[in-house]
Amino acid sequence: MRKFTFLCLFFVGLFTVYAENTYSYLTFEMTDGAKFSVQASSLSLSVKGNVLTVGEYEFVVSNLTKMYFSAVNETTTTKVDTVADAAFDEAVEIYNLKGEKVGKKELSKGVFIVKKRNGTNKIVVR
Amino acid sequence: MKKIYICFVAFLLAFTAVGQTFNVQVGNVVYRFPASRTGDMEFVDGNLLVVMGKSFALADVDAMSVNEVSVQDNNVVISYNGEAAMVEVSGNVAQFVDVTVKGAHVSVAQSNVDAVDGDEITYTLSGAATDGSFSLSGSYKCTVQLAGLELANPGGAAIEIANGKRIQLSAKRGTVNTLADGAGGSQKGCVYSKGQLQIQGNGVLNVTGNTKHAIKSGDYISVKNLTLNIDGAVGDGISCNEYFLMESGCVVIDGVGDDGIQCDLDGTASTGETADHDDEDSGNIYILGGKVDIRVTADAAKGIKSDGDVRIEGGEIAVNTAGGGVWDSEDVKTKASSCISADGNIDITGGVLELASSGAGGKGINGDGAFTAVGGVLSVSTSGNAVVASSSGSISVVTSSQQLDRYDSDYKSSPKGIKVDGSIVIGDSAMVSVSTAGAGGEGIESKYSIEITGGQVAVNATDDAINASNLSSTGGTGDISISGGLVCARSTGNDGIDSNGNCYIKGGVVYAIGSSQPEVAIDANSEEQKKLYVTGGTIIAIGGLESGSSLTQSCYQASSWSKNSWYSMTVGGETLAFRTPASGGTTLVVSGASQPTLKSGVTVSDGTEVFGGAAYVPATVSGGSSVTLSSYSGGGGGPGGGWPGRH
Repeated sequence: MRKFTFLCLFFVGLFTVYAENTYSYLTFEMTDGAKFSVQASSLSLSVKGNVLTVGEYEFVVSNLTKMYFSAVNETTTTKVDTVADAAFDEAVEIYNLKGEKVGKKELSKGVFIVKKRNGTNKIVVR
Repeated sequence: MKKIYICFVAFLLAFTAVGQTFNVQVGNVVYRFPASRTGDMEFVDGNLLVVMGKSFALADVDAMSVNEVSVQDNNVVISYNGEAAMVEVSGNVAQFVDVTVKGAHVSVAQSNVDAVDGDEITYTLSGAATDGSFSLSGSYKCTVQLAGLELANPGGAAIEIANGKRIQLSAKRGTVNTLADGAGGSQKGCVYSKGQLQIQGNGVLNVTGNTKHAIKSGDYISVKNLTLNIDGAVGDGISCNEYFLMESGCVVIDGVGDDGIQCDLDGTASTGETADHDDEDSGNIYILGGKVDIRVTADAAKGIKSDGDVRIEGGEIAVNTAGGGVWDSEDVKTKASSCISADGNIDITGGVLELASSGAGGKGINGDGAFTAVGGVLSVSTSGNAVVASSSGSISVVTSSQQLDRYDSDYKSSPKGIKVDGSIVIGDSAMVSVSTAGAGGEGIESKYSIEITGGQVAVNATDDAINASNLSSTGGTGDISISGGLVCARSTGNDGIDSNGNCYIKGGVVYAIGSSQPEVAIDANSEEQKKLYVTGGTIIAIGGLESGSSLTQSCYQASSWSKNSWYSMTVGGETLAFRTPASGGTTLVVSGASQPTLKSGVTVSDGTEVFGGAAYVPATVSGGSSVTLSSYSGGGGGPGGGWPGRH
């Protein structure tokens, strides 16, 4: 019985330690306060010019303030509008974070700037 | 059940070791940051990334990644692979190391001035490169661990450490590490450290110095545990300042162009030995244990050479020199090799030493200070002849002692066993044996005085076996005093025991053999009104005693003696046996606490062998014939033996 108890406690300690040492996300914070979390496991990052490629996502380096490991997804949707299909249809121009104009059908995962007749929104494509 | 339990624990521990790491690669250097400690990694001005205090120019970063690899703190791992090297830096020290990699040449500038997270930085080197190196600068101590490294640098030192602090150079257990530098360079050593160098570890380190020394330190060097092979050097095998300390391990030095181990004073004045060697600058060499095997072949090279003292407390030490003599035009002096050479004192309290010099003029031990042996086993042999220099400095070898006498002391070097300018004291449990074979080969010589209080001393020499002179420069008395121990002093060409002052035999067992007249077994400087005083001891003197001796203890003589025969001498119920030599002086003199009885032609059946088998003390004997003894008053061997000033 004593051994069984010890084993259980050990399992608890094991998961605690494991949990402390690993993080599920690498979160990027932009200059406007927005945050975007990317799953951290086996993640590759590279920099070319002003663009930081993080897995499938791209960021403009000059728009980043910091990055940090986080246990949860901290992506902020309050500053990023979700656009209904109808509003999406109203989009006049769509730009990626590099400032390149992209077509509606060319949207990969990432953050885009959508210009409509009555304003501009930022959207996240997952 | 217990096995299942242990397996569970091991399995769980394996899981607990998993970590998460953020890696930044810049060229051939990868910085590994534990994810749990990265905190905020800041982007600065759109072109810099700062992680745990380390700034990266994003334009220089080749790749970044996140993986599940644990990182051990305070580590820099360098892996050599042919023409390249990869470096991995632990995140917690990344901000303190600036790494440059050019091919297989790795340079590190270490900037911390204190411990990092409570510890120093460890650089672990492994792999192989034929054109590579490791150089390090810094201001705080660190460890350089060799973990299976073969490194050759044709353009300079293999390892060069400009960090003036304490460096631990460690050979990892179970690994063999081989270092070589280039020829014709300016480096001071294949391994060079500006600061203190502690060489340790349970692995093997092989070093070749192709420009100068194999291992050189600007401060002290200590050796512990490892096997260190100096396979060759243009200069010394090991060269350092302050002091050299060997605690354990194995040091083998061969193929060097100068001395085996040399230690110099760093400053201008010696601190002497300090407590725990703190801030010591003595030029001393300490050997406490381990194994030392040194062979030097260059003319006038020394096996072990110190600006200060040489102190041996333990270990097994074998030193061979084979070089001849040279003329030093700067010092205006003839110089020759010696196994151990000290500008200070030489102290032996333990250990087993075997010293052999075979070159012309080569000595076993040569010291400017005193020699003390109160423990240990010391065997010294010299087999070369003497070396002399003409007035023009031309060197030649002399094969006769008479020829040697024509030269002033600065123009000759004789192959003496032990020669010191200071006093000699041998006692306690010391066992000293000396043999010489060439012209001028005195066994044991002091320019000051000799005192034997215990132990065993056995000398077979071509010149005086045991000699004390009294040069005016040393201020010594030239006295010899024997009050205990077992002493055998045999000379085939001069006196057994020769004192240039008074000679006092007070106790112990003394077996002295002088060559034919005018030499004697035991001599004092009667020409200058000095005397031999016999007040005690058990004495056997083949060749008689100095004339005019003061014989408070009665002495007796046998009118003749047989060569190569076993004799027994019984004094007060205690018997010893001795074998007579193949040649020697005419008179056999004996003396003891009471009138001894002497027998010739005895058979020794038991006893304690001493003097290399020349005697048994005590002995169990049988048979033999009584030898008639008559009273002896001295001078039976002829007038004072030896030539004044013949040293």
